[in-house]
This record gives sequence, C-alpha cells and structure tokens, in this order.
Amino acid sequence: MSLLSRTYSIFSILGYYASTFITYLIDSIILLLVAAVAIILTIYFFRKYMARVQLRIGPNRVGKYGTLQLIADALKLMGKESILPRLRDDLPYKVAPILVFTGLMIAFSLLPYGSFFWIGDVFISNSGVGIILLFAVLAIMPIGELLAGISSHNKYSLTGALRSVAKDISFEVPMMISVLAIVVMASARTPESLNIASVVSSEILPYGILQPLGLFVFYIGMIARASYSPFDMGESESELVSGYSTEYSGMRFGLFYVGMFGTILLGSFIVSLFYLGGYNGPYQWNLGLIYLLIKAVVVIVISFTVWLTMPRIRIDKFVNLGWKYLFPISVINLILAGFLTLYLGW
Amino acid sequence: MVAMSDWVELNIGPHHPSTHGVLRLKARVEGEMVREVEPVIGYLHRNAEKLCENTFFCDNIIYFDRMDYVGAPGMEVGYLEAAEKLLGVFPPERAVWIRTIMAELSRIASHLIWLAAFGLELGMLTPFFYCFDLRESILTIFVEASGSRLLTNYCSIGGVYQDFNEKITDEVEKFVQDAPKKVEEINSLFIKNDIFISRNKGIGVLDKNVAIEYGVTGHMLRASGVEYDVRKAEPYLAYSKVNFEIPTSTKGDNLARYLVRIEEIRQSIKIISQSIKKLPEGPFFNPKAKKSMMIRLRGDGEVYARTESSKGEFGVYIVGDGGVKPYRVRVRSPSLRNLSVMRELGRNVMIADLVSILGTTDLVFGEIDR
Amino acid sequence: MEVKEPGRKIPLVGSLEGIMTVFKHSLMKPVTVQYPEEKEYTPDRFRFRIFLKLDDCVGCTLCEQVCPNKSIKMETVKRENPRNKRMIYPDVNFGTCTVCRNCEEICPTDAIYLTHVFETSRTKNSFLYSPEELSKPEDEVVK
Repeated sequence: MSLLSRTYSIFSILGYYASTFITYLIDSIILLLVAAVAIILTIYFFRKYMARVQLRIGPNRVGKYGTLQLIADALKLMGKESILPRLRDDLPYKVAPILVFTGLMIAFSLLPYGSFFWIGDVFISNSGVGIILLFAVLAIMPIGELLAGISSHNKYSLTGALRSVAKDISFEVPMMISVLAIVVMASARTPESLNIASVVSSEILPYGILQPLGLFVFYIGMIARASYSPFDMGESESELVSGYSTEYSGMRFGLFYVGMFGTILLGSFIVSLFYLGGYNGPYQWNLGLIYLLIKAVVVIVISFTVWLTMPRIRIDKFVNLGWKYLFPISVINLILAGFLTLYLGW
Repeated sequence: MVAMSDWVELNIGPHHPSTHGVLRLKARVEGEMVREVEPVIGYLHRNAEKLCENTFFCDNIIYFDRMDYVGAPGMEVGYLEAAEKLLGVFPPERAVWIRTIMAELSRIASHLIWLAAFGLELGMLTPFFYCFDLRESILTIFVEASGSRLLTNYCSIGGVYQDFNEKITDEVEKFVQDAPKKVEEINSLFIKNDIFISRNKGIGVLDKNVAIEYGVTGHMLRASGVEYDVRKAEPYLAYSKVNFEIPTSTKGDNLARYLVRIEEIRQSIKIISQSIKKLPEGPFFNPKAKKSMMIRLRGDGEVYARTESSKGEFGVYIVGDGGVKPYRVRVRSPSLRNLSVMRELGRNVMIADLVSILGTTDLVFGEIDR
Repeated sequence: MEVKEPGRKIPLVGSLEGIMTVFKHSLMKPVTVQYPEEKEYTPDRFRFRIFLKLDDCVGCTLCEQVCPNKSIKMETVKRENPRNKRMIYPDVNFGTCTVCRNCEEICPTDAIYLTHVFETSRTKNSFLYSPEELSKPEDEVVK
C-alpha cells in the first residue's frame, strides 16, 4: 500500500478519471505543504547552525528558540513593496522566480521517500523514466535564473546570469555521466533501471561505496546546482551585489531564496537516494522515511559546513574544474562502473 | 580585440558590499575582464585637516582617532609624535612603553578587521566571526584602559590618559598567551584551503619599481620585496629596544601580501610580550602637560613625524605659529598611496580578482578622505 | 625575513581540515551577550553621559573652550550660587559629543564629570541637555 493508493481508494467511488485527478491533486497539495515546511525547517536549521559555528546564538526572539522567525521573515517579505525596475522585460522578469520555485516543487514530487509506518510508501509519481524526468526538471531552474538576470536590465544581474550559464554547462555534463554510471550498475540488477524507486531498492551495497568518484562528482554538481559557496558565482555577494536576483525584492526575492534552500534539501535527498542507500536501512520495519531523513540531514550538515568554510571559486577556474577534472573523473567512474558490473558482477 | 567603445562601464561602489567604506571603482569591463579601473574617492570627506586648525593641540587627537577607526591608538601615536616634537613636551618612559603596547594592539586589531573583511570578500563567511572574537579581547583591553572600545582617545600630549593598572597588564598578558593559537587557527582556515590559494597566488602582482614610484608603503611594499618599516628605519617609541623582524616577500601578489600581514600579527604579539615584561615603573604623565595646562601649550615652527601605522607609513606635518592652535596640519595617509596603485593592479584582471586585490590593499576610508 | 609560501600539498586535504575546524566550533559556547537581558560588564573607566554639579560650577567656560566639537555651550540659568556670579552653566549636545573627556579633565572644580550611564536613547528629537537636565539622573530626563 502506498500513500497514493490509499488516497485513491477513498475516492474510487467517483469513477476512474475523477478519482485519479482528485488523488493527484490532494497528494500534490500535501507534498507542497510538506515540502514548504521542510524548506522552512532547513532554513531555520541553517541559521541556527551557522550561528553556532560562528559562536553566535542565532534567531531566538520570535517564538521559543526563534522557531517562528522564518514565518515572521516570510510575512515581512510578503508585506514588502515589490520594487520593479523601470526598464525591465516585464514577462520574463515576473515569470523567473515562479519558474525556479515550480521546477523545485516538481522535482520534489518525482522522488520516492520510502515507507513510513501505516501510511506505506510515500511517493507522488512513480514514473518508469524517473531519473530522466528528475534531471530534466532540474534543468528548468537555471532557465529561471537566466531569465531573471537578463530581464532585470542591470549589469550585475546580467553578469550573474552569464556566470550561472557558464557554471551550468560545465557541471551538468559530468553530473549526468556520473548518474549514467549508476544506471549502468542498476541495469544489471533491476529491469527498470531508470525508475528511481527500483534503482534505490537495488542498492544492496550503497552506490557511494562502489563509486566514490561518482559520489564526489555528483556532490560537487549538487553544490553547484544549489549555487552556494564555493560555487555561488552566480550571485556572488561581494562581487556582483547579489547577481541575478539583485533587482528582486519582496516575495519574488523570497522565491529565489526558498529555491536555493530547497535545492540544497533536494540535493541532499538525491545524494542520499542515489549514493547512500536511500531508504534502505538495517531493519526493514517501514522506517524508510526515517532512514532517508537521517541520511539527508547528515548530507545537509556537511553541505552547510562546506558553505560556511569555503571561499568562492573564480568562474574560469570552475569551468576548468568542470571540463578538465570532473569530466574525466566521471568518465573514469563510468568505465569502472561498467567493469565492475560486467566482469565482477557486483 | 574588441573596440574600446564596446567596454561596459560597471560601477563598483559606493554602495556595494565589497568596498568596505565608500570607495567607488569605475571599472570598464569586457565580459568578465576588467580592462581599466579608476578609483573615485571623496565620499567620506569630513575636512579633518581643516578642523584640526580650529582646535587646540590636545583636542586634535580625536580627529586622528577617526582617521583609522579600526585601530585608533596607532593614529594617536602618529599625531603625538609630531605634536610633542613641536610643543617640546615629551612623555616619560612608562608612557612610551604603554603607547608601544597600545600601538601594537591596535595594529593587531586593524589587521584582524582586514582579515575578516578579506575572508568575506572571498566568500568565506565563518573566519569573519573568529577574527571578531579575537579582536574582542583587544577591545576589552582598550575599554579597560581608556573607557572606549573603538575611538579610544587614550594617548594625550605628554603621556597617556590613565595609567596601566594591574588588571590591564593581566589582560594583556592573557591576550599574548591566547592570541597566537587563535591566529594560527584562523590562518589555517585560509592558508590550507586550496581555493583560497588558487584565488590569490599570482593575482595582482605589484612590481617593486611600480610600488616605489607610487609611494606605496606598508605591507604592499614589503610584499613586493622592499624591506622598509618605519619602526626599524627610524625607530620611534620603544621600538629600538624590542626584538622583532620585518616580514618581506619577493612575490608581490595577493598571497604574499596576506602572508606578510599574518607574519606582522605574529611579530606584533612578540613586541607586546616583550614590552609588557619591560614596562618600567614611574609616572605616566609629563607634569609640564598637566590638565590645567592643556589648552595653554604653544607650538612654533614646523615638524614632520612619521610612524608605521597598520596600513603603512603615516606621516603628520604640523606648522605652528606660536599660538595654542596649529596653523596647518597635513596628513600623509598610507591608504591613499596604496589605493593609487589600483589603476595598475586593476588592469586586465577578472571582476572576482579585482575584489580580492581590493581586499588585500586594506583601505580605511577615514584615512583616505580625511 | 622572507615569508614562506605554503608548499604543494595533496588537494582537498587542507580544505577538509578547515571544514573540521569550522565544525568543531559548533560545539563551543556562543560568545554573544544578549543585551537587554544580560548586560556586559562595564569597566571603571568606561565613560559616557556627562553630569554636572550645579553647586560646584564656577562658570569658568574652560569646558566650552576645550570641547573639540563645540558640543558645550554656556547658558544662563537663574540660580543662586555664590561661586558662580555670572550665572552661566554648560549645556551639552550629545548628538555631537565624542566623549573625549577633555571637559572632565580640565574642570578646575570637578563640577562636570562623566559617568557609566550610556543608555540615553530618548524620543525627544534633540540630544541637547540643559544644565538642569545634566544634573539629573538619566531616567528623570527621558520623557
């Protein structure tokens, strides 16, 4: 039983089309709310963790231990005047933040989250080509950044957008090749090697142990996708004010902000699903979601520490890194994965 | 080659996160590359030199505090070197040593601010707070000694405001013990990082001759291979009686400047630890400049005194016409000279490098615009 | 003395050390002081708010002369004081006061002095303190 089939059985009296529609609608709304809360918790956790690392206390005024601080911030952002640049390109300017946010939310709906006690398997869509879909949806977000940068009619924004594009083309290829290595390995074990759920369940030994190089490349790709330090060239605060989001204010800026933290959360989910065994754990007592969350939190802590420690890399150095180091490493990883699968049968 | 008309003019500043203060850099960029850069200054001009002509010799100290507001006692020392020479009132031995300690503490405080801001410019969020944590222990000494954290107004003509008591010497000794470990920890965050090295090695190379032509002093000159430090070249205060070395480098790039500065912090800690041991007993104030005489001190003639402030050679030129107020005060500020090479350094670099070069220059705008 | 550049190392190891150093700090105690609830220790020499003993002031105008920013102006106050025949007392504009302590040091009768009080935020638009206000404690002045 899964969350989807439980909801479906409730509405099944309405007939096939109506019940399917309502099921997916309700599950999407649940996902949207849960994802929003999870992102808010991530931001809260980041702020607390950053404060503690920096010998500070962090938010502690609104609510107990500052737990309501993020809600207060969101309300503040909503209440703020949205200042629009006069020479903007109107439609792309307004569409860009929505595009980033929507892309993020669709990506969340494509992941399997394991099972959770009586609810059963938690997932929204169980596509047979989930991996392709996931990375296709992830490729929507840079388009939002690019649109934001170009339509703002600001030199900083434009430079930031160009940097984003240069960054994207240099890490996406190695990242996709390292995902390909996983598909290669999974194809020997499961007939549906592009389905995320079956890829994860084929992980008897986590792929991160079999392919440490792939994990390295993919993790760097995920950092670059979420564009935080060391790879935050697109919105490098000390150089380009805040890059492509310079001209945004109010809730539009808030969507970019949420998009960034959401990508961190999403990235840690993807890393733990593909490389750290996902919702597989020592005891299979319907605790998949808990295992997944624990793994994701560990990845998030590592990501935040990297963020807080590393200086920003220069854009040309990053392009170098992407094509001269990550690309060969990922190809080697692919060859190794093929070798392991074909000859050793791991 | 793109024609010059295709270059885009990009204003970095005066409202920009990385131009700590109010510097405006008119950069002409071609894509990511900065082809030309022109610093525009004057956004913090407060007429400090002119103000000094309208107040008594003893009052001018507060304007010098505000020139380098991140390391105020060092500036006071610079002014008093000149003013005391003009007025003929010299501090007793104990005051000289106390001033040495304060000047070195302020040098460390200023260097820590620079380190914090430099890290932030490169995108490192965390070392900022460790630097401020260490700086806090210096500010505690300042507030314990003078009553103010930032703009101390501690040194006065003919001595210091109040004596070092037991508690302050304890604090200083504690600082000398704790600081080296913390400095090394902060340093390890920077110097062991691969990205930091790649961002700074070979970037913004300042040639030795160019540096000398522009009158650059301080860490920028030393990093370009000239062993020049006013503390050694023309010792003032108690610097001739303590042991320390001048760090130099022949590379002249950002990394060399960074390393020189870190070594300067270590040397300053060394000077303080020696000074606090050698601190003599005795009066801390010259009776000729006692408080009722404060506004009656008259100076005639002209003097120029130079000191090594945290940014470089800080010169003060005072002309007195026999009155109780100076006739003319002129400041040779190190940051202005260090900024003037920006035109040379900012040629054909990337925007990211321009910011990191600006970071190693260590500008304080109170000093540049005066 | 020539500074040494760091030698060539294995990539990433130094960065990982840095990450561990930063992570270690998350287990340390925060150093922040939560201001209104807990107050930081103020040393003896800490100075801000200027007070004035009206009875001791002789109206010599030395504090007005020595004030570098001309924050002190002499003001006539109708008040019986045999030592102050001209009946002039200093008033202080805290908006421009730099807390240089020169007025305290030069005062021949120690009538004007600085205290630890530093919480002088007020709703009044100006920071000008009249001689009477200077002689009162801060909470009586704030309206």
